Amino acid sequence: MIHENLWQVRNELQRNGILISFTGKLTQELIEEYGAAVKQYLESVNVPRNNVFQTFSIFIEQTQNIKNYCSSKSGTPIYDEIAQSCIVTIGNMDDKPYVCSGNLVEKSDAAGLEERLSPLITMDKEGLKQLYKTVLKQDVPPDANGSGLGLIDIARKASRPLEYSITEIDPRFSFFTLKAVV
Amino acid sequence: MEPLIIPATNSTPQIHFDASLGKLVVKGQSYPENAFKFYEPVLAWTNDYLQHLQEQAVVTMELELPYINTSSTKCLMMLLEKFEAAHCAGKPVKVEWICNMDNESEYECAEEFQEDLTLPFEIIEKNSDV
Repeated sequence: MIHENLWQVRNELQRNGILISFTGKLTQELIEEYGAAVKQYLESVNVPRNNVFQTFSIFIEQTQNIKNYCSSKSGTPIYDEIAQSCIVTIGNMDDKPYVCSGNLVEKSDAAGLEERLSPLITMDKEGLKQLYKTVLKQDVPPDANGSGLGLIDIARKASRPLEYSITEIDPRFSFFTLKAVV
Repeated sequence: MEPLIIPATNSTPQIHFDASLGKLVVKGQSYPENAFKFYEPVLAWTNDYLQHLQEQAVVTMELELPYINTSSTKCLMMLLEKFEAAHCAGKPVKVEWICNMDNESEYECAEEFQEDLTLPFEIIEKNSDV
């Protein structure tokens, strides 16, 4: 089966400029390994150094965000389904690297995501910087598994406004995607 | 006071805090799975050290962080706030941030910390390709 489809899969990847793609459950070890590979690969295809650093940074924030989201569901019956649903791609389109990732989210979490993302899309760099500094100085709630800075940082490092989508999959889940162009 | 020494890993920096030298070094990439857990002993040691600081010699925090994720940045902020408070209390502390100027995000990160702190804070150019 895969033999017959692989050509189509390959063409689809190429059409989207996807250089590296992986799916499934993310662990810290995998994030580190993939991160090093992403860096090496982009350097080998002569992506400018600053773009390599930015891509690496966006990649780490996106994957750690997803991993933290999955961890927040640990111990619940939907954990496996969410953790296995992750996809992360790194591509190059019109000479600009991008990181695009997706994962299932519980439907009740979709609104919160949208609430956090939509203001970032309309903010300019100066606005994002001020927001970043404000959040950086806020106290972190004791149960937080992140600093609340990840998405703001991704938006700051991207050269264009972030793009995202939330698509209903079934009564329980939506599929969330986030794309950041370096 | 016992020095705090933690060797570097892929995703955590080397920590070398030596009270006898008055030098606190954080060096390497920082993007651990749980930054708060990693930096907790670092913050605790610093707290203790600064509280009992008597000496007149300057205490230097030496930073070299080619990549730092956002939750580590938050922890670093907490660490530097302790230094800032010591400075405001009249204690002789300073920050030296060694930076690869070719890396915009690395320099920008150092610069933004510098903007918000009043203690002596120097950004030092790293010799290229060392």
